Amino acid sequence: MINLSATPGTGVTDATERTEAGTDPPPGAAGRDPGDADTVVELAAVTRTYEGGATVDALSDVSLSLPEGSYTAVMGPSGSGKSTLLNLVGGLDTPTAGTVRLDGQDLAALSEAERARVRGRTVGFVFQTFNLMPRLTAVENVALPLVFQEWPRADRRERAEELLADVGLGDRLDHQPTELSGGQRQRVAIARALAADPALLLADEPTGNVDTETGERIMDLFEELHEAGNTILLVTHERHIAEHADRIVHFRDGEIEGVETVVETGDGDSEGSGAGTETEDA
Amino acid sequence: MDAAETLRISVRSLRAHRLRAALTVIGIVIGIAAVVTFATFGASLKADVVSEIEGSSANEIYLVASEADEGGFGGAGQPVFTEYDLGQLRDIEGVQRVVPRGIVPVSAIGHGDQTIARSQVTATNATAFATATFEEGRSFRNGEREAVVNRPAARLFDGNLSAGDRLTVTRASGDRENVTVVGIVNGTGGQLPFSSFSDQPRVFLPADPFYQSVVESPNAVGNQFVYPQVTVVTDPGDTTATKERVRGYFAGDRSDAALLVPDGYAVSAQTNDDLVDRIERIVTRLTRFVTGIAVIALVVGAVGIANIMLVSVTERTREIGIMKAVGARSRDVMQLFLAEAVLLGALGAVLGVPLGVAGGWVATRYAEIPLTLAPGWAALAVVVGVLVGVVAGLYPAWRAARVDPIDALRYE
Repeated sequence: MINLSATPGTGVTDATERTEAGTDPPPGAAGRDPGDADTVVELAAVTRTYEGGATVDALSDVSLSLPEGSYTAVMGPSGSGKSTLLNLVGGLDTPTAGTVRLDGQDLAALSEAERARVRGRTVGFVFQTFNLMPRLTAVENVALPLVFQEWPRADRRERAEELLADVGLGDRLDHQPTELSGGQRQRVAIARALAADPALLLADEPTGNVDTETGERIMDLFEELHEAGNTILLVTHERHIAEHADRIVHFRDGEIEGVETVVETGDGDSEGSGAGTETEDA
Repeated sequence: MDAAETLRISVRSLRAHRLRAALTVIGIVIGIAAVVTFATFGASLKADVVSEIEGSSANEIYLVASEADEGGFGGAGQPVFTEYDLGQLRDIEGVQRVVPRGIVPVSAIGHGDQTIARSQVTATNATAFATATFEEGRSFRNGEREAVVNRPAARLFDGNLSAGDRLTVTRASGDRENVTVVGIVNGTGGQLPFSSFSDQPRVFLPADPFYQSVVESPNAVGNQFVYPQVTVVTDPGDTTATKERVRGYFAGDRSDAALLVPDGYAVSAQTNDDLVDRIERIVTRLTRFVTGIAVIALVVGAVGIANIMLVSVTERTREIGIMKAVGARSRDVMQLFLAEAVLLGALGAVLGVPLGVAGGWVATRYAEIPLTLAPGWAALAVVVGVLVGVVAGLYPAWRAARVDPIDALRYE
């Protein structure tokens, strides 16, 4: 059971009304010192502009940091910059201005090939549509990131089998995605995201394509991963999904509208009295 | 990523579209098979022609005065070789025999009550025939009214001619000459190399007394017989050096032939090897031309690969995005698509080579020549198949590598 102090059950909260109440569970909110060894992701004044017919600021002047072991949810309506954030943090895109540091590395300073290496080694992606390779089996899908990391074949297979067993698919190793249910596919995708033991898990609406019950099981899995020490950044537009995280960052129009801390009750995880929130800019 | 995994994934991708892959491969198979068929047929043709020419006459030099740009094998040539020249040639080191050949125009040859129309018989001398070519009898003696015929000529007459039979040769002028057949040579005896293509009937007479072409020799005194063709038989193993000495004799103005040869004509001295080289060159050129046409089929096949690979890149945009999101570099993606194209090309080549050899076999059976394989071409065909795959796959693979993962993951 999850309890959220500020405006439980509703969506977006007015940022200006929020104040940061607890400093406890996740050590560090947005805007921590760069270069901190315990910071996995560090966005400093990041702006991403798309040149089209009109210039659009998908993100403007966003600063955010994800400490190691933190579980952060990003919420916001579509077009608020959530996906852009994910692409930047995941090394798929580079900012127009500002810096994105992943595991201490400035992603914009890396070559395309080096960024690909970072994506494979430091980031694990989980997508709404699973994005499994259609002609590869479950175990081959999970091993795919390791292929690009030049792991020997036997080691890849062993690691993939382990991970699939961990997510409860030890009996579906050689099934193709079409032979798996939506929930199973998403678990394969999660196992794949974990293959290279990345510093950061990025999840983009991971429950968006599965039914509610399956979605809850997926979220339980993320909970376990969080407890195991993984750093997670979860993008969603569903509040009850976001509430699984320690912290919810609200985006609107490319800017951070507010940050709220989620306090869980009935769970030994955190003991803060309530929670709240607060903000960077006004 | 390692090569084995690249191959495994590529094979998987191709298998997912078996029919499409098969049709694309067929394009390459046809191209490679066409090239190999024509190359095999060309090689067989060359081998056959060369084996026809390469006989026992490796130590013969053929002299003829022909148009300067014809290289010495065109037509009967101009009559320029005098008795004086023949004498000089006999004195050249390495020369065994000098056999002149002239034409005696005739209208008919008769035996008993049978008369056969002929336009010419050959005038030569007694040393014209190698002993081994005699099936029967002996050579004629110079100055005697004797004749040697070849087997095809002997067969022209009822009951075949044999030594001792009498022939009546009617000259073009109408005069009749009675001669006695003293020898029968086999089909190739005493002939120019080309003659063996067709086993034409031939009748040989001694130049003395039947040959009538004479010219005033520039070097000697008085009129001499003058011949359009001379065969110099050399010591075995010394043919090349002797050929150079013979050429040297005709190079200056020392020889009658050099003085008698008309403007625009030149005396050439060629050996069988020269002739073989020349024919090989002609056949090779012809083969290359036809093979070049077959290469067009290969180019069409390559376009097929490029086309299907481009379709594949578009279809698999999302997969490319996935691979890039999980750490594939552009070069990994490029490698994957290139491997697919190369697989298609190589598969086409591997299947096309045996099909081409089979095609070559059919063609040689049809042309009734023995099959000669051209293994170099087959190996080259496989290399070409791979290269075709690389070339055809390069642009699609480059397109694949450049796919933006963000767009690709959004792509439906």
